[in-house]
Formats: sequence, C-alpha cells, structure tokens
Amino acid sequence: MSKNIEQTVKDLMSIVLNIDATKIDDSTAMDNTPGWDSGNQINLVLALEEEFSISFEVSEFELMVSFFDIVQVVSAKI
Amino acid sequence: MTEPIKLDHRAAVRTHLEGGELQAAQQSARLLLQEQPSLINFRFLRQLITALPSGGLGLKPYKVALVSSFSIEFIHDSLIAYGFVNGLRIEIYQPGFGMVNQEMLDSNSGLYAFVPDVTVLAIEGEDWLPDVYTHFMDADTAGASFEAVVKGFRQQLAALVTTFRATSSSPLLVHNLALPRQRRAGIAGLRLPRSQAQLVTDLNRSLLEMAANTVDVHTVDYAALVGYFGVQQWYDARMRLYAKAPIANSMLGNLSLEYMRYFRALSGLTKKCLVVDLDNTLWGGVIGEDGIDGIQLGPNYPGSAFVEFQRAVLDLYRRGVILAIASKNNPADVDAVFQNHRFMLLRKEHFAQTQIHWEPKSESLKRIAKGLSIGLDHMVFVDDNPAECAQVRRELPMVTVIHLPSRPELYAETLYAEGLFDTLSLSDEDRRRGQLYQQRAQAETMLAASGNLEDYYRDLAMELTIAKVDQSSLARATQLTQKTNQFNLTTIRYSEAEMAERMADANWLAITVGVRDRFGDNGIVGVMLAHAASDSLNIDTFLLSCRVIGRTVESAMLAHLCDAALARGIKKLSGRLVPTEKNVPVRDLFDKHGFSKLTEDATGTTTWELDLTHGPVPCPAWFKTVA
Repeated sequence: MSKNIEQTVKDLMSIVLNIDATKIDDSTAMDNTPGWDSGNQINLVLALEEEFSISFEVSEFELMVSFFDIVQVVSAKI
Repeated sequence: MTEPIKLDHRAAVRTHLEGGELQAAQQSARLLLQEQPSLINFRFLRQLITALPSGGLGLKPYKVALVSSFSIEFIHDSLIAYGFVNGLRIEIYQPGFGMVNQEMLDSNSGLYAFVPDVTVLAIEGEDWLPDVYTHFMDADTAGASFEAVVKGFRQQLAALVTTFRATSSSPLLVHNLALPRQRRAGIAGLRLPRSQAQLVTDLNRSLLEMAANTVDVHTVDYAALVGYFGVQQWYDARMRLYAKAPIANSMLGNLSLEYMRYFRALSGLTKKCLVVDLDNTLWGGVIGEDGIDGIQLGPNYPGSAFVEFQRAVLDLYRRGVILAIASKNNPADVDAVFQNHRFMLLRKEHFAQTQIHWEPKSESLKRIAKGLSIGLDHMVFVDDNPAECAQVRRELPMVTVIHLPSRPELYAETLYAEGLFDTLSLSDEDRRRGQLYQQRAQAETMLAASGNLEDYYRDLAMELTIAKVDQSSLARATQLTQKTNQFNLTTIRYSEAEMAERMADANWLAITVGVRDRFGDNGIVGVMLAHAASDSLNIDTFLLSCRVIGRTVESAMLAHLCDAALARGIKKLSGRLVPTEKNVPVRDLFDKHGFSKLTEDATGTTTWELDLTHGPVPCPAWFKTVA
C-alpha cells in the first residue's frame, strides 16, 4: 500500500531536516524550523525530485518554504 | 514512493548501530546505498553516524578538508555515508567557495588549523581558467597562443601546492580539468592552432608533473569521471547558476566514491584478495550439470561476456591483487575446465588458494584468509547466487560481498565500480605478487618435506638486502607502514612526507629489508625506523610482510640494529610493543631475543630494552647479507 503525498513529504522532511515527522503540520515552515536554512531548502528540493521523479523549475524552489506549500507544488506536478 | 525494501535496510542500519554491531551496520548501509544511492539515504546515514558516541564504534576518525571553487557542501552527506561503509568516521572542514587562495596560501588559515588527514582541491576548469572555457572566443586572434594562460596556471598551481606542502604534511588530492562542456568554436575548434581540447591536455600534463614532483600529491582524474558519466548527466545547469553547485545531485555520490578510492589507499584499507565463485561467474552455466561443452565461454554471447569478466579478474591479478576460488563443485570437474577449455583466460596458477568442496562458502573464506595470512576484512567475495551472498554477509560481516547482476555483460563494471583494490601506485612488487604466492606455496611444500627448521632455513638460501630508505624505496617503505598489520610492533602509519623526514634526519635510522630466496625475489618486505638518543637506540617502527614471517628474518633485522647502535657508541636497544587485534605474531619478539621488559601500561603497551654490552642479538648463520 503506498503512502499518500502528505506522509511521504513528512517522512522526507523528517530525514532531511532531522525533525520529528509526527510534529510536522501545515504551519511548519522555513522561518519557524531550526535547521531549515537555504542549504537544506535545496536539499529538500533535490530529495523531492528523487522521491517523486519530478523536476522543479528554479522559480518553484522558493515557493516551497512550508510543508503546506511543498504539498501543493508537488501535488500539482504528479 | 517509499518501498518496504528500502525501509528494511534503513531500519537494519539503525538496529545494528544501537546494538553496537558495526560491521553488520556497514553491510546494511552498503546494501542500502547500492540499491538506492539517493540524497535521502545519504542524509539518513549521515544523521545516524553524526549521532554516534565519540568512540564511534571503532570507526577510524578521518579529517577531510575540501577546498573548492564551487559550492561543494552538497557532497558532505554521501562522503560521510560512504566513509562509514568503508570504516571511516569522516569529519569535514570546508571553507566557503572561492576561498582557495586565502585558505591555502595563508599558514594561519582554518585549513591548516584543522590538521586534515587528507585535503581535496576541487576546482572546475571554468572557475580557474575562464580564458580556456567560457571566454575562449574572446581571444584576440584565431591564432592566439594562450602562452600567458598556460604559464599563469603553472605558476598559480605551483604556488598553491608548494605553500601547502611547506605548511602541511597532509596528502593532497587535486582534481584535474574536465573538458569544456561546450565546444565554443563548434566543429572548427579542432582545427585551431590551440584548441580548447589541446589546452586542457597541456594543462593537465602540467598538473601531473607538479603532482609527480611533490611528495604525497595525487591527481584525481576528474576528467575521466566526467567523461565516464557524460557531461549531460554529470552537470546540472540549474544548480550551477542558482547555487554555484555545478555537479548534479545524482552524480555527487559518484564523486564521493572516487574520493573513497584514495581515502582507502591512504588509510591501509585497500582490499587485498578477490575470492570468486566459478559457475555463472567465470563461465555461464554449471560445469557439473552442463559439462565442458555446455558451459558458456567463448567468442559468442553470453560466453563473450564471461571472457571479458575473466579479463577483468586477470587484470586485478596483474595489479597485485591475490586471487582465490570458493566454489561448490567436484574438483575433477573444475580441473577439466582449467586444463582443457580453450577459452579459459584464467589458469589455476593465477589462484593462490582454491576451496572447491560442498561446505559453506563462509568456511572457504575463513580457510582462504588463514592460508594467506590476510584479514577477512581485506577480502572481497564475488558470486552470482544471492543465497550464497546472503550466507557470507551473515556469517562474515567484515567481508565485502559483491552480488553479480543477472546480466553477465555487466559483471566487469560491477567488479570495478567502487575501485576496492585501487592503490596509489603500482610497483614491480605488485606485479609479481601473484607469482610470489606460487613461490611461497612451493617453499611451504619444501618445509613439509625437510627434516628440521634449520635445514629448511638453510635450504631457502635467503639473501637479505639491508639498506637505508632512499628516493627509490620511499614509496614502498611508506606503503608497508600503511598496509602491514600482523608483524608490526607499533603499527604507526607513515605518509610519504613523514617517511622522507625520517630519511633525511641524521638522528634517525630508516631502513628497508629485502629478501630473496631460491624461489625468487620478494623485494622489500621489512622496514625499521629507530631514533638515536645518547643512551639508547629506540625502535619506533619494526615490521615484516606476512609473506616472510617464520624464517627468522626478524632476528637478522634486530642483529643489524644492534650493530648500528654499537657503531654509534650506543649501548642499549629499546623499543615498544603496542598490542593490537592483528599483531599476535610479533608479541614475543622482544622476549625471544633477550630483551628485558621495563613497563606495562593499562592499554597493554610494553616497553623493553636490551643491554648490548652483554648480549647483542646475533645474526642467524643461514643468511647471506647484502648491505
């Protein structure tokens, strides 16, 4: 049974940002999460590309600065 | 989407680490990364490794300095992850990009304060030489000679490397230049008096010369790496322009694997022995069932793929890797193939040990390791059968297991993929090693046949060459300190630069020992380093290759040190024994030769001394010494 997009993104963010997946919700964002800096923003983008076999435009990188935004952008591509 | 397979390996790594089972954790990490070398998996492993307690479960701490013209920080995760798989706990120092000159030319920089175990200088051609890469078409004339550019490069490189070497003894790995991604002049480029390709070739030649002339500087063949994967795959224009990180995410792991080849070689972790299965490995099919005419080996597919694989294995033999066979078969069936099959490239003589029986492969590996006096952690096992691979991984987690893919045309590249056997140089000794194992087997047969040990030693007709370490033997002497684990009193690892220091110091004796016997020349197999103080000659390093253990060569070596001490008016020989897991064979050296034990500390390290006025060690009578 494959997981839904939200759970996959949470698990991915948990590993990349070294945070607890169960504590990620719609409010989790770059400006309130320690360790979510510009370097890790890029790592998130690259990990999402691998995980979902999609490709982001550079203009989309800086749109994905919260869990909610990431799910929106990724869902639109799948 | 995430699949159960990947979760199993990740969970397994975590569980093994929590249980303190390092080798099992490394096996699982290896499998995880083989199946999916993704950012997530690299990051997952990095988080676990970084959280390990300071003892690090026995991983060797390894400080890596990365100096780069681009943003290389995205490589950290894969470097730490692959480091773990290879037994290294990697700590990274990396200044911001574009700080190459500041970090390397200033002796007070963070780079030197870090005291790295290895330093990597990773420069992209277009960052260092825009005139050859992006601005190539700006040259004043079509016939521009680019003299100034080439000269400038040589001077800049010389300044960096010379200053670095004067300030640090860390080995330095320097990327060479990849070809430009774009042929700026199109197809007319090749016809220019100075084409981009020609310039890069010349610049790379200068780089190689610089590396060859400076101790412990090695060239990373970045050009070959980019060529192998292809520019289209290797670079990511998006990331280059957005983050100054030109290497594609999916390729960073490959660059880390390339660095691992050097880190392993520099740390004495290079694998020494390849153990191969036979059926569906050296030939297609099963000899016991298909018969000699039914197995696939020859000019037609798939036989041609197996011939290529045999060539790949033979090449490793020629590089000094020891070969062995572990096969479940009837020995007679196997002998028939080696003797009679016209397309067999490998011969029985190429294999130092063969284990052909019906017992488990793990048993074969243990016997092979014992027969060769090699640690299981220096062995690589190759088999097409996943059950056999799993059995060995379970029983012997320290063995590196390569499970061959289903398609034989991929066997050779699978074997070579990680460069597990890569050494920094290839010496004549390496080329001869396979033959030396044959000779050793002959010598052992003779031992079994001879009446007593003294007759055996005499019959060996051993000739010792005892000489000072010099330029021609520097690399070999250094290599021995890095690789020798068993007959080694103190297991101190030297770099070439450090060995060169000893060589040049009048208060130090730096000596190589070569052994020739009636079966052949073993070359340099022993190293002694001793420091002359006013009242004693103190042994810092005393080692002998496992090939010549058990022949009293060590007695002759000690006798030489006694003579050297007395010649300097020194009346005592002293030394230290640092016990390790592997150096049991050397534990009774001092005791056997009449030394008195002075001290013993909590770690089991003992110090010893010998009063030369009463009992210098005599050189055994059966040696002929060539000084």
